Formats: sequence, structure tokens, C-alpha cells
Amino acid sequence: MTEAAEMMHVEVTRFDPDQDEVPKVQEYDIPIQSDWKVLDAINYIKDEVDSSLSHRWSCRMAVCGSCGMMVNGEPKLTCKTSLADYSGSIKIEPLANFPIVRDLVVDIDGFMDKFRQVKPWILRAKERAEDMEALNEKGTFSQSPAELGAFKQFSMCINCLLCYSACPVVANEPEFIGPAAIALGHRYNLDSRDEGARERNETFRGEGTVFSCSFANECSQVCPKNVDPAAAVNQAKLGAVIDWAKGLVLPREGA
Amino acid sequence: MAGTAHPEAMAPPQKGPTRTAPPQMPGTWWGAPRIRTYLLFGATGIVYFIAGTVFLHLVWQLGKGPEAWETALSSLSHPAYIAFNALTLVSVIFVGVRAFGGMMPKMQPRTGPIPVLPAGTVKALIYGVWSLMTLVICLILAGVLF
Repeated sequence: MTEAAEMMHVEVTRFDPDQDEVPKVQEYDIPIQSDWKVLDAINYIKDEVDSSLSHRWSCRMAVCGSCGMMVNGEPKLTCKTSLADYSGSIKIEPLANFPIVRDLVVDIDGFMDKFRQVKPWILRAKERAEDMEALNEKGTFSQSPAELGAFKQFSMCINCLLCYSACPVVANEPEFIGPAAIALGHRYNLDSRDEGARERNETFRGEGTVFSCSFANECSQVCPKNVDPAAAVNQAKLGAVIDWAKGLVLPREGA
Repeated sequence: MAGTAHPEAMAPPQKGPTRTAPPQMPGTWWGAPRIRTYLLFGATGIVYFIAGTVFLHLVWQLGKGPEAWETALSSLSHPAYIAFNALTLVSVIFVGVRAFGGMMPKMQPRTGPIPVLPAGTVKALIYGVWSLMTLVICLILAGVLF
């Protein structure tokens, strides 16, 4: 068992909707272990110092995307961020750009609504829903490794929302659909099994979508899974324009 | 958190029963190096705006007649304009490098038969094409080509 190596000064944002008008800062001095992540420090405070602290976490291995918070002003997955990277003191705040529900917990309903707008699931054209030729003998759609490789990177998103927290457009334009939602929409546009690209591209051409992105590239900088949402957004811009241009010169299928 | 985001940023479509604190931004958002780079990127828009205005002015003078055109051309040799041209060049290179930086593969696909080129190779290709295009344009402008 590792021994307590040193003390750390931790500043945590607190907000109780029943009592506080605005969020405030509470300070703790806690003993830390050299191999702790930031989440360990928060859990220590919750378990040993102040049980009223509220925060979200689950898997502890950068898969569930629950424990995103601002650490010294940077959006981080706290289960993936080592305390050893900080010395002396650390400031933990709820994700920026989101309404704060309580302490370090933010309201993600706005994200879920934006997420649904891009239809992040496989869409099949109605007239081909019964097209059995597209199915293999097991009754599933075959996909080659190359076809999988085309979108796999964008499917690695864990919806941790760090990209929304880092994005200057999200901070200033409430209609903006945001990096993760666009990346997921684009992921399905690239999926060989999907036939909903036209539908999604119409969404992408709408207000507050891909063309609101000012190419700050912040989303890709903070993404803990290297999804590169900025690339997805800018590829989606191109896809939406090509689709629009095709619509000018080519007849619509089934029209 | 000292800065404030838009009060409606990431707001849910329907207000829930729980009162929430408005969305905030780190008070030092502008101090992060990558944000400073972004602000600099935005500031290059001013340079392009001025360059565009000068271009429109030249076109306007061209329409006025040969004398006005000659006067406008001679004004371009002013040291201030040459310095501004250098600033425009730096801005273009900065924006180009920043844009190309976004094109680098961030993650190697783990599946598929098509190998993804290493980031260094992609970088060399991008900058190679850029340099070649710049050289061709310079040769055309110098009258060597065509």
C-alpha cells in the first residue's frame, strides 16, 4: 500500500440550488497519494471530508465519459488526469458552458436535445428496408474492414462533453449544435450501412450547425479519446456543400 | 470560474424543476496558449480586410483611368505598404500552418487494409504541395511560365 506522500490544496466549486444564488468556492487540504488521479482526490473529499459534495463518475477508466470537469481551467476527464501533473494546489470546477445543477454536476439535457437532431443512428431508406440482398446469411449487414476504418475514429466518442466545454462557439452561440453531435452525425454519414446522409446534411446546412464552427480546433485539443471532432466538423461542412451542389444538378432519388 | 458564457448556452429545451446556475467560462480563458493562438487567428481577419480594401481601391483607380492607376501603383512602393505586405504574408503563412495542423491524423485507425500514412509523411506532403503551388504561382507572376 502506498503511503500518503503530500498534502494538496483543492479548490472546489460548490453550488446548492436551494441555498446559493451563484456558485462559490470551497477549499480543502487533503493528503494525496502519488498515483492518484484528480477523481481520487474528489472521491476522497466526498468520502472522508465532506459528503455533501456532488459529482458524477462511474467507470474510472476513461470510457463512460461521466467525470468531465474543469481542472485548473482546462476541460479534463478527472479519472484520466494525474494529480502528479499539478503541484501544491488544484482548482476543480464544473464543465464550462453548461448550466450547473449542483456543485460539479452540470445539466446535459441541452446536449441530449442537440444530439438527437443529427439522428445518431443508422437510417435506412424506406423503400430498401426489406432489401434482403443487403443482408448476409446471418441477417446482418456486412461491412469490410476498410468501410469500418472510414468512420471508426469518430465512433470512439464517449460523450464526455469536454469539447463543448472548450468550444468558444458553444459559449457564445446557444443554437450551435456542437462538436460531439456533429462528429457523431458525420460518423453515421460515413457508415456504409447508413442511407441517411442526405437527411443529416440538411440538418448540417441549417442554422447553428457546421457552418457556425469558426475552426478554433479547441474540441480536438481537449478530446481525451483523440476523436478529432474538428476534423469531423470540417469534413461535414464539405459533405453538406457537395450534397447541396448535387441537389442542384441531379434529380432526387424516387422523385 | 469568473467569466460568463451566454446565459442560454447548452440550456435544455424545456426548463426543469431544479434551479440551475448559469453556464460559466474560466476567468482565464483568454490566457491559455491555444486560445491566444485562436485569437491571433481571428485577428488575421483584420489584415485580410485591409488587404481586400486596398485591392478594391486599386480596382477603383483602374476604372478612373491610366493616370489614377499609375499613381495607385506607385503608392504601393511606399515602405508602409511593403511592411503591410510582409504582415499579410506572415498572416497567410500562419493561417495555412494552423489549418494544415488540423489536417494531421490524430488517431491511427486500428482496422482496415488501407494504411494511414505517418503524421510526418502527411505533413511533408501537405507542405510539399503548398510550396510547389506557391512556386508555380510565383513563376507565373514573374512571367517565367506562360
